[in-house]
Amino acid sequence: MSAVELLYGQRPGATVGASAAPLNTGARDEITLKEVEIHYALFELPMASVLPRLPESLHPSVPAVLGITVWRCLAGPLGAFSLAYLGVACRTGIKPRHFIHGAFCDRPEVASWLRDRYGLNCQLAKIHSLETYDRIHSRIELNAIPVLDLVTESAIPLVGRGAVVKYSPILNAARLGNDAALVQMETSFDFKRVLRGVPRAEIFDAHALGDATLRPHYPISGTFAVADVRLHPARFRLDASVPAEQGGARKI
Amino acid sequence: MEFGLIYELSTPRPFTRETQKAVYENAIEQVVLAEQLGFTSVWCVEHHFLEEYSHSSCPDMFLTAVARETSTIRVGFGIATCVPAFHHPIRWAEKAAFLDILSGGRVEFGTGRSSTWNELGGFDAIVDDTKKTWDEYIRVIPQMWMNERFGYQGQYHKMPERNVLPKPWQDPHPPMWVAVTAAGTELDAADRGMGALILSISDVERNVPRIAAYRERIKHCNPVGAFVNDKIAIANWMYCHPDNALAKQRGEELVGTFGYMAGQTVEVSEAYPASNYTALGLLGSLRADPTAPGEQKPLSSGLCFGNPVAVTETCKRWEAAGADQLVFMIQAREQLPQADVLESLRLFGREVLPQFSGGTRRPMAVNA
Repeated sequence: MSAVELLYGQRPGATVGASAAPLNTGARDEITLKEVEIHYALFELPMASVLPRLPESLHPSVPAVLGITVWRCLAGPLGAFSLAYLGVACRTGIKPRHFIHGAFCDRPEVASWLRDRYGLNCQLAKIHSLETYDRIHSRIELNAIPVLDLVTESAIPLVGRGAVVKYSPILNAARLGNDAALVQMETSFDFKRVLRGVPRAEIFDAHALGDATLRPHYPISGTFAVADVRLHPARFRLDASVPAEQGGARKI
Repeated sequence: MEFGLIYELSTPRPFTRETQKAVYENAIEQVVLAEQLGFTSVWCVEHHFLEEYSHSSCPDMFLTAVARETSTIRVGFGIATCVPAFHHPIRWAEKAAFLDILSGGRVEFGTGRSSTWNELGGFDAIVDDTKKTWDEYIRVIPQMWMNERFGYQGQYHKMPERNVLPKPWQDPHPPMWVAVTAAGTELDAADRGMGALILSISDVERNVPRIAAYRERIKHCNPVGAFVNDKIAIANWMYCHPDNALAKQRGEELVGTFGYMAGQTVEVSEAYPASNYTALGLLGSLRADPTAPGEQKPLSSGLCFGNPVAVTETCKRWEAAGADQLVFMIQAREQLPQADVLESLRLFGREVLPQFSGGTRRPMAVNA
């Protein structure tokens, strides 16, 4: 067989997760959040900006894709909270994932819960997200300054079997014992309602949102969904240096 | 049972001019040999912007080159994309007819609609409309072939009466097919009297109900062309080697490479939720557990990897399942040396192919 050049991220695995929080592998409870409102937007961005940011164990998607997700949860076992995260599309082996580079939450105890179970490292922020008749609008504010203003307009309802959104599971850096690893946030969704429209980032402070080099370039889709979200315990750890197809993925 | 080849023209990095040319030239050399060995068809996909996975943006040009190097093997569009942002239906009618003449009446006209954001987004196509545009195209293209002058007013294109030229060599026109990736599209094919070109990387047994449903449904079809093309071609993988274990190992590597290349593309369902792209598509057939990070599906028993005895046994099972043709992918990103690919073809031609009686079935009569 001939030697071949594969397309991987270029970020050395050793630089990933150096300051990540320890994962609580003993937390095995599952919870369901009822009727979470999820605003999700995808944009293309230049491949040249993504490759240096992706760990060397991950493949990029082609084209490069930036995902912005905002949850508004009005009640449930974690109480009311809002959550937002940004990541770039990648592949573990052949499976679609988003590698997260920025996350925000408006309640410290929820942020702690997510960090504990999935390594999702949220900054405290003020998060606003609302569906109105003409648009879906989400905003993140840090120190009273908006760093993200995301709008999805011209939204139409998706019906029947098409009323789903295939969110790629997200990968976060976490510490397991002495090692850093990528951990997958395990979620499943029961959709009640889905809209799809055209997204636009009216304010996008890339630096404040986690990476100054990752900026939306070309809109793909914006969706708004109401769904019951089930959060499952983390199941897998992925080496930031060794690809899944070479044995870099293990059960926790 | 007949056998053919299908080409994605996948290309390894780094993308040099020399590498690109070698991919095309190697494929043509393989087809020329395959014809001598008794293969009866070659198909070529249409894809755009799919780095590594497929550098086959102009299947009509590849098939024309092949046609001029061969004399009997049939040349199939696998597929012609029926999306306005990619092609006008008149252009497909013209290109297919032109090739039909240059090949002496050997065209198989496969159709489809694309399933990646890479392509549909790249052409700024209207994603929601691709099933509708496909239906409009497949109805009007045969009319352009069969009528001296033809005009129409459709939802997506309209044209005053014109003589679309040239007309195809085959009378009344080339057989019509549709590519089937998502489950259920074979029923679309049956309803329209079209052949089903089914990409199947799964076990034979999983396809038996699909084939049976197609056979039953096409009895009651309303054909889009002048005749019913009641055929099922299974697109699959083949590597044949005297060492059974080595053949399977290389086959696994080919499928792994294919999965890696396909995995990097962005399927419509991942990027752009739409009611006409609800199925998982090609990648769904490659993944084991979509939420698990690493494990791959075990190799399907429907893939034709092994020594001649093993490959014959797999082909016989496909034949028993009702497939009319097996069309093989035999290379991925030039992973196998060309000499090995050619030797695999020769071995298949020498020891497997003679165990099957070829023979194209006559088209069914048009429903009155």
